[in-house]
Amino acid sequence: MEKLLFKGFKVFDGKEFIKDDCVLVEDGKIAKIGSGLECADAEVVEGNGRLLTPGFIDLHAHFRDPGLEWNEDLKSGAMAGAAGGFTTLVAMPNTKPAVSEPALVEYVLSHGAAAKAARILPAGCVSKKREGKEICEMEKMAEAGAVFFTDDGSPVATSHLLRLALLYTGKRLPRVMEHPEEISLFQGGQVHEGRVSAMSGLKGIPGASEEIDVARGIALVRDTGSRIHFTHISCAGAVELIRNAKRAGLDVTCDTTFHHLTLNENAVIGSGYNSRFKVNPPLRSVEDQRALWEGLVDGTIDAIVTDHAPWHMDEKDEPFQEAPFGIASLECAAAVLLDYRAKNRPEVPLELIFTKMTSAPAALLPEKWQGLGVIAEGACADLTVIDEARTRIVDCQTWHSKARCCPWEGIALTSWPVMTFVEGRKIWQDDEEL
Amino acid sequence: MTWRHRSVIDVDDWTREEFLFFLDQSRHMENVMDRPVKKVPALRGKMCVNLFFENSTRTRVSFELAEKMLSADVVNWSVSGSSTAKGETMRDTAWTLEAMGADIVVMRHGAVGAAQYLASKLKHGIVLNAGDGTHAHPTQALLDVYTAWKHFGSLEGRKIALVGDVLHSRVARSDVIAFKTMGCEVVLSGPPTLMPREVECLGVTYERDARKAVEDADMVYLLRIQRERQQDGLFPSVDEYHRWWGADEELMKLAKPGALAMHPGPINRGVEIASEVADGHQSVILEQVRSGVATRMALLYLCGGGAR
Repeated sequence: MEKLLFKGFKVFDGKEFIKDDCVLVEDGKIAKIGSGLECADAEVVEGNGRLLTPGFIDLHAHFRDPGLEWNEDLKSGAMAGAAGGFTTLVAMPNTKPAVSEPALVEYVLSHGAAAKAARILPAGCVSKKREGKEICEMEKMAEAGAVFFTDDGSPVATSHLLRLALLYTGKRLPRVMEHPEEISLFQGGQVHEGRVSAMSGLKGIPGASEEIDVARGIALVRDTGSRIHFTHISCAGAVELIRNAKRAGLDVTCDTTFHHLTLNENAVIGSGYNSRFKVNPPLRSVEDQRALWEGLVDGTIDAIVTDHAPWHMDEKDEPFQEAPFGIASLECAAAVLLDYRAKNRPEVPLELIFTKMTSAPAALLPEKWQGLGVIAEGACADLTVIDEARTRIVDCQTWHSKARCCPWEGIALTSWPVMTFVEGRKIWQDDEEL
Repeated sequence: MTWRHRSVIDVDDWTREEFLFFLDQSRHMENVMDRPVKKVPALRGKMCVNLFFENSTRTRVSFELAEKMLSADVVNWSVSGSSTAKGETMRDTAWTLEAMGADIVVMRHGAVGAAQYLASKLKHGIVLNAGDGTHAHPTQALLDVYTAWKHFGSLEGRKIALVGDVLHSRVARSDVIAFKTMGCEVVLSGPPTLMPREVECLGVTYERDARKAVEDADMVYLLRIQRERQQDGLFPSVDEYHRWWGADEELMKLAKPGALAMHPGPINRGVEIASEVADGHQSVILEQVRSGVATRMALLYLCGGGAR
């Protein structure tokens, strides 16, 4: 029986920091939590006051596998996640081919597991081949291991199809995860419609594009009695719609990204329209960014995700208008957010941030995965060690991810994950810790 | 004054003093244009590459004339036959230009940020932006300011009304910056569907009614309307456009006496500008074309090291 004793940590259990400072892990599960625990035959991990949290859970990441493995594959993605403190990653299905049948769900699961790093859970498409015409074999795909259904990269093509998907999934099958976007308002868009589009001449993407699709989803949830999850929410109007839907008792949940919380359109302008800052949905206004933080604090926003979107440098290193959308961030996302919070939002409790990265996203996964995202006796020993004092410069050249650029390249950040464990097995350790 | 600019992507980082210095240089360059032998040795031995990814006969010829009058060697890069058409990235293009020893690259490209990107990849070469998508057209702004400055002397306190498709206009964006830096009041007018949202962040006012916008204006600048915008549904018809935002003599009467009618060319007669205005006594459209050569000479001279 393999045993691991974490001693001298500030332990965050998924909701709050607890008074106990020791966690004993046996055979991949948390056996005991207490103060001053001893265990003669356990390997000891000394905390020295560092933080021990449940492993971070990212509900939205892109791994380009199958089909575009030169951008990222399931192995490099799983390693990148581990190096960012993530223990569970949900892989979006907009690959080539799209993950819209059970065999491909199994492919993602098995190839992800072979990496022996962060756990990769597949999301399946809503529509066959992601063509927006017919719903997939959702029962079979759920049975194979799909944890969400989404046509991410695009919204579900028609209201009729989304309604069918919501009726079919109900509250029994995994949630439908909607990429909220009204296509006719998005066409050709490059940046947020507002200051950055006015100054740059780039075609704007109005916040209304997102709001309209969120409103559609809410109306259909009300109509079907089902549930929906809106992903990468970016604007104030969408936050308000979801807040009201929750108040009305609808089962509507959402996430936002690390980059929308920590950057706004001014970063695009300030960078001289550097393609590193090109992302969909676009980095929005200061007011939108503020609304996301308010939504995080008041519970409207359930989870924080990366929307990790890796591209090969040859594809991303282009003039802004010609570069693809997407920010790769798995390896620095947690540090970006923790550093930003400490400097700009100190009034937001650290517990809240960690909750949105652990227990809250875990709660949106299917029944089989309940028990992730917490440190509790009997729970799965997915754990992340955070060193709040560690300062490091973001260096994409050293990443496990195949992506080689991100908005924070060259920036010094403080508060980094330094060790990651999945089911009690160490999957990553910062070189400086060795 | 020590000239600090090398590549010029836009004029948003130019001070008023730099503009004034530049205008003075442009006047000297215009004198060269009037000589029997229109050639000075300022850029002798320098290699200029005109890299045009979009068709633009006027701007390219204007640059080429300016380069030749300064005795630079000129190469016009034929994009359709280049590796770019075969899928070469702009990074490769930049490195190729560097390897070939280009000193100055004049680039027109359909993508916003292309000139900035090219400049970021060149270690030694100078990039002069001849228009990047709908973003910026700094040399158009320089020639516009120069044309107005020659007429009015100081531009402080003058009012310019830019009328038309501001949303898709790189000219408008650079002109707003340039004329504001020179102390002008800038008013924009045009259909709301051809106006950027949050346009006030450019430091201008928007007046939907062109008649109100041009009231007491010293300069009325008509922006080119592309007919395909009508196909996109951004305005209902050319007739309706001309009636509300096109410049005819009636509209020009609302501006100050002696107000200039300006246009970046080529003009759509009867759409954004009526012939009687385009060819009338207030029109400085051909002066703008001439100013284009002088100001591009000044820019090449200052940025290309002629002043050092």
